[in-house]
Amino acid sequence: MNPSFRTPKRGPSRAHATAGFEELIRRLVKGASELQAIESGQVDAIIDPATGRAILLPEAQEALREDQARDRSLVRLSSDWRWEKDKDYRFVSCEGATIGSSGFENKTIIGKRLWDLPFDNMSKVDWRAHRSKLKRRAAYRDLELRSRDHAGGVRYFSVSGEPIFDGQGQFKGYRGTARDISNFKLAEAAWQESTGIASATLDALAAQICVLDSAGTVILAARAWRAFAPAKGCIGIGVPEGVNYLAVCDNAGEGERDNGIAIAAGIRQVIAGERELFRYEYGCDWPIGRCWFTLSATGLPGDRAARVVISHEKTTRRKRAEQLPGLDYPVAKRAPIYPVPKRVPIANGVLAAMPRKEYQRLVAGLEPVSLTFGDVLYEPGDSIRYIYFPSDCLVSLLTQVEDRMALEVGLVGSEGMVGIPLALGISTSSVRALVQGTGAAMRMEAERFQLEFRQSPSLQQELYRYTHLLMAQFTQTAACNRFHVVEARLARWLSMTRDRVRSDRFHLTHEFLADMLGVQRVGVTNAASALRKRKLIEYSRGNITILDRKGLNAASCGCYRIIKNLFDGAQR
Amino acid sequence: MRRKRAKDKASSPEIETVVVLRLYISGNAPNSVRAIANLEAICQQYLKDGYKLEIVDVFEQPLRALADGVLVTPSLAKVSPAPAANVIGNLSDKRKVLLMLGVEGNAG
Repeated sequence: MNPSFRTPKRGPSRAHATAGFEELIRRLVKGASELQAIESGQVDAIIDPATGRAILLPEAQEALREDQARDRSLVRLSSDWRWEKDKDYRFVSCEGATIGSSGFENKTIIGKRLWDLPFDNMSKVDWRAHRSKLKRRAAYRDLELRSRDHAGGVRYFSVSGEPIFDGQGQFKGYRGTARDISNFKLAEAAWQESTGIASATLDALAAQICVLDSAGTVILAARAWRAFAPAKGCIGIGVPEGVNYLAVCDNAGEGERDNGIAIAAGIRQVIAGERELFRYEYGCDWPIGRCWFTLSATGLPGDRAARVVISHEKTTRRKRAEQLPGLDYPVAKRAPIYPVPKRVPIANGVLAAMPRKEYQRLVAGLEPVSLTFGDVLYEPGDSIRYIYFPSDCLVSLLTQVEDRMALEVGLVGSEGMVGIPLALGISTSSVRALVQGTGAAMRMEAERFQLEFRQSPSLQQELYRYTHLLMAQFTQTAACNRFHVVEARLARWLSMTRDRVRSDRFHLTHEFLADMLGVQRVGVTNAASALRKRKLIEYSRGNITILDRKGLNAASCGCYRIIKNLFDGAQR
Repeated sequence: MRRKRAKDKASSPEIETVVVLRLYISGNAPNSVRAIANLEAICQQYLKDGYKLEIVDVFEQPLRALADGVLVTPSLAKVSPAPAANVIGNLSDKRKVLLMLGVEGNAG
């Protein structure tokens, strides 16, 4: 309700007005009680019996004027503009802070309707809804409008208005306020963006994460948390947003009760601010074995709704590793290299056989390299600069006879090391080391290797064992080359290569094979054709595919089995 | 007949205890605001639910005051029960109001 404040037609001077009023009172008021009330200052207005109009006494006028001034100043404080519109919704006044560039100024809006102004966030439908509201003479609050200011920047306004009626209840127009809320909107947008980034970051993490409020209710859950299917033993992980996590912990079922109580107590301490971090590790028996989880509750400072971040991780692997510190060594040592053990963490057999501590020291001096078919690591007589532990490449050791003739005497794959002379105290190579299968290896500088070798009994033991195997391979190959036919030797060679590269397909030319076997090219061609006829292998343009592994093994000379048994046996 | 009976009921002592009051004020002028506050406090304390109060703003209904013979605001009129009476001023004199309402004796 708005007092329709009517100023009597009197001069502005207070003294003059008071004098005029005394006369008026004398004329209009006759009753003693009325006069007494007027004298004691308890009356606001006198009614003119001629017109029925109420005439405010000077004190009341002053008070109302002050009231209005106070209202205005409050409006000014809480808004940037006050405006009035006539019954056709045209602006008739707009006063307030003129922000030169705001675009919301007196001269631009007087006489216009709200929808005549260049606001760009309202559709025709929006304006229609707004107009129907006005038609119903309804008040509207915080209508958000967007426009561009003179400088081209985006401005947001919040406009509120309510209808005004005259004494007879006739609609006169609207009156209201407007605020420039650009800064607020920009801050809101920035906040939304940062919240978006935060929740996207949470979603990207593998751990199950959620945020609790002071009552323990989940107010934000990351994707991994939401996706976590309720599992036996995992107290309450995956409860949806809006559910109280502490209540779930409190009511944990049989077998989980102790963990539930401990977790709830810890989280409550974090919420109460008694501790910053609560970490709880627990295990539960699953069909796949005992699994371990770590739950962390981190307190959030401040008075915001979000109080605790809960992070839940599966730590089974780490826990097992901690519990069985010595297991790596016997497992790796016992595992035969052929067939490929499923869980050899280190590709090279010699390195894999090292105890963890010595391996970690060795690794510091190793660098991974990629070796390509045809690379020559050493020539006979060269001093050895690097030793190599092949991971999945293959290196042939060739003895050169005269200048052009060569013969393979040994083959090193992931089971061994290239550069054995160094382990025996010799720094030059007697053979040519030729990369025959492209792949990765770890290499170490010769000097460092000699140092490590002297310090590590395990490495010494392993390399002496391997040297013995290599010598056995040399002697067996020497005998084989002398006594066995090319076809059987080719089958042996292909089988050995297959074992070392762990693949049924490799790229080799006949010329290369001739070198390996120490025969003429035509000899290789004939032998290969024979194997192909028996459907043991397929080859075209240097690509060899083993079709029948067992058949090829059977077609090999006995040397293959002897060498293989030696290697397999040595690993046990 | 029915109506008559209803009328009879209306004049029964139970209903008579409801006091009907009318307060004439002029908008938010200070004495008017004070009068409303004073009157409501008195009614709450002494009449509980046994009263009806109509507030007439002479700015909104300029002819009502004239018709009711009210010359100044604020001004409180007791419409019923008889006898009609009125108190002029901001009603800060509680004694006067209670006298008019006829509850002075038992209010203490």
